[in-house]
Amino acid sequence: MTARMPRLRLPGSLVAGGAILALMLVCALAPGLVAPYDPIAFDYTALLQPPSGAHPFGTDQFGRDILSRTIAAATIDIQIAVFATVGPLVVGTVIGLLVGYYGGIADMVFGRLVDLVVTFPFLVLVIAIVAVLGPGLVNMYIAVGVVGWVFYARLMRGEVLVLRNHDYVSAGKVLGYGEARILFRHILPNAARPILVYWMTDMALAILLGSSLGYLGLGAQPPAAEWGVLIADGKNFFSQAWWITVFPGIAIILAGIGFSLAGDGVADLLDVKR
Amino acid sequence: MSGGPDPILAVERLAVTFDTPRGSVRAVDGVDLSVREGEILGLVGESGSGKSVTLRGIVRLLRANAAVAGRVLWKGADLLAASPERLQAVRGREIAMIFQEPMTALNPVLSIGTQIEESLVAHTTLDDAGRKRRAAELLDLVGIASAKVRLAAYPHEFSGGMRQRAMIAIALAAQPRLLLADEPTTALDVTIQDQILKLLLGLCQDLGMAMILVTHDLGVVAETCDRVSVMYAGRVVESGPVEALFRHPRHAYTHALLRSMPHGGAARQPLVPIPGQPPRLDRPVEGCPFAPRCQLVEDRCRTVAPPFEPVGPAHAAACWASDRLAMAEGTA
Amino acid sequence: MSRAGLVLWRLLQIVPTFLLIGVTIFVLARLLPGDPVSAMLGDRASDEAVNRLRQQMGFDRSILTQFVLFIEGIARGDFGSSTAYRIPVTQLIGERLPVTITLTALATVIALVFAVPLAFVAAVKANRWPDFLIRGVFQVGLSSPVFYVGLILLTVFAAWLRWFPVGGYGETLGDKLWHLFLPALTLALSFSAIIMRNLRAAILEVLTAEFVDFARSKGLAQRIILFRHVLRNALVSTVTLVGLHAGSLLGGAVITESVFAVPGVGRLMVDSIFARDYPVIQALTLVLAVVVSLAFLVTDLIQMALDPRVAR
Repeated sequence: MTARMPRLRLPGSLVAGGAILALMLVCALAPGLVAPYDPIAFDYTALLQPPSGAHPFGTDQFGRDILSRTIAAATIDIQIAVFATVGPLVVGTVIGLLVGYYGGIADMVFGRLVDLVVTFPFLVLVIAIVAVLGPGLVNMYIAVGVVGWVFYARLMRGEVLVLRNHDYVSAGKVLGYGEARILFRHILPNAARPILVYWMTDMALAILLGSSLGYLGLGAQPPAAEWGVLIADGKNFFSQAWWITVFPGIAIILAGIGFSLAGDGVADLLDVKR
Repeated sequence: MSGGPDPILAVERLAVTFDTPRGSVRAVDGVDLSVREGEILGLVGESGSGKSVTLRGIVRLLRANAAVAGRVLWKGADLLAASPERLQAVRGREIAMIFQEPMTALNPVLSIGTQIEESLVAHTTLDDAGRKRRAAELLDLVGIASAKVRLAAYPHEFSGGMRQRAMIAIALAAQPRLLLADEPTTALDVTIQDQILKLLLGLCQDLGMAMILVTHDLGVVAETCDRVSVMYAGRVVESGPVEALFRHPRHAYTHALLRSMPHGGAARQPLVPIPGQPPRLDRPVEGCPFAPRCQLVEDRCRTVAPPFEPVGPAHAAACWASDRLAMAEGTA
Repeated sequence: MSRAGLVLWRLLQIVPTFLLIGVTIFVLARLLPGDPVSAMLGDRASDEAVNRLRQQMGFDRSILTQFVLFIEGIARGDFGSSTAYRIPVTQLIGERLPVTITLTALATVIALVFAVPLAFVAAVKANRWPDFLIRGVFQVGLSSPVFYVGLILLTVFAAWLRWFPVGGYGETLGDKLWHLFLPALTLALSFSAIIMRNLRAAILEVLTAEFVDFARSKGLAQRIILFRHVLRNALVSTVTLVGLHAGSLLGGAVITESVFAVPGVGRLMVDSIFARDYPVIQALTLVLAVVVSLAFLVTDLIQMALDPRVAR
């Protein structure tokens, strides 16, 4: 027998989660290639059709193909997952890094802010901000961003507090490295792993939040296809045509599972305790 | 071994293997022990020699990844083959155990009284008032003042020594015949260590209880035990009466161990630490496991494991150099 | 610190949080673009009407006076009147808040009833099929949006099977709980998934603790070891988690109440936002923050009861 080749073993959850997310991403980036019909084309010859060979997920009250609409909606929901989290990720990481490293008054103010934010129902806060700014995706991103960065910053601060006293940080100081170099070259890469894992979870939460706002009429605005909006569209027909509502919901659940599995997998891979 | 009444506990060829992600580890490898009624047996060795695992193996207190082989004869019946119900009846009632670190061995969210009383519920027919009375008696027995009040206390409200006393009281609740003591003094201050040892010794005498005392401290063994078994790399390498074994060690490891401690043996000798590390247990050991560290090593030590043979009255050792140790003694 | 002392201390701690939220709301309301009065009355209102309302709401005074009046009002428990319902905000919230509290409390009970036994089974059978099954099902629960679960439960159990009312709220306590059962179940689903996940991990950790070995060495029955020794210790950390989720539970109530037409503060919040009913929004924001703070306090008290080390 030959010597065994050293092989990178990917956690099963990462492979499964990655596969689901890849599918979502294909739908999001090229819905036209995957969807069998035009998602907004009316077809009065096929109203409220149950799932069949021609329409695997059925059709709605305008004869629109639910499968195509669900696929088209991936574009917006995946966009929500990314856009609603990247801002908080970047801002929160930097603030957490600075606050954790320098401490002092900024840290105390930050502590009070964290108390405030965790005391308050996140969803209510986002809804309130969206209500003031007006419904829509951009305003939703702003609302999520106003609050969301705190969670990243809190996580980052905790990591930095641990790392600050490590040898290589002291060594960096002794060697006369600039603060920026210590912060971004030495502390940040080491503190980034739990942040990355949290980001995965947060993207799943963002889709849940985005679709909830869409359902309430505060997020993506019709006729744009978004899973929450699709569910809201179908809810009045639920008793006659359950498929209009059920399939977009399954898409949300699937996306959530995809991000969760990927998060678990990344945690396993990077050996992060959750 | 010969002499005296039949042992109440006889451990025969006990082997414990742990299945770990890095392969299987043979922590205990064919250990024989015996304890007679009221006797105190010392089990000594360095950390990792398998003495704690042996102790836990006796009452099957091992993790799911442990495979146990051999026999543990308690009053003639094999505990390793006993039903879960039988084992549960023996644990606490006939064989009790105390641990090294009372802070982690006591449940932090239950009062000391509750932790005593639950043993009484399991093993006696006492009613509630009777259990309360008995619990207070037990605390009194282990030297905790104002016992009645202390029953309501939680472990974190006790000092280290008091916690160890409380753990002894809990273990003794159902009047066991054998106490397995896993380094009961290691986590304590030196002054308290002595108090606890005296307490254990007195309790054994007063209650006619036998004890296996696991320790890495030969001084403790010399003070308290009737007989001693020395473990190395998962095996018993020497076993005998304390007096004989300390005065006339017949295994090179025991010899080295005695020389490494301040008051070892009869004559005062300079302190000589044992160089090197014990062997890894995740692969088979060829020959004598102590050979790589042994100063009396000879060729056959590295290839053939020495047999465990009588070297004196009730005294046995597994060492190719035991004759040379005996001769060296004669000339010294 | 004594129990009473701790309660008092925590109640005092709510005050600065309360003030901070009050200030934030006040400042936000004034910094944001657009005039709340014209927003309230619409574009076609006459200048006269706008001015009258401005005066009524005190917007013609200086910012500082407005702030003092605002804080003074809060201190007196006077939040003004709802512009949509034309009744005092205090009265409105007083009617609606108990509904939401009942809903979330019921949801917490349901979540615990599901999560605790299943976390136990999952931990004891860790990495075997019951564990995978339980974790799989809960993962689906965790990924399901509240409104979606609500819609499905509503359609299946209320509209089709008619086991439960389609919406609204009852008169007697039993009737109320019956009305609230489906919304609470909806709310409980993702919450129980979070509890299950945490409790399972905590139980697995406690199972390796030495005091569990000691309990075994005493010859206690497996049942007693698991319930008295393992579960009690594992619950200590889980209780904290339950408390920390009070906020997200209230957030979920906003959606659940909308789906099931439950007359609680969650639905009131959404309605008020659409109606631009600012006095109600302001007051609700403050009240919800207080409710969450009180939930934290209750959590601490339960934790003190469970873990004597905290009680000092």
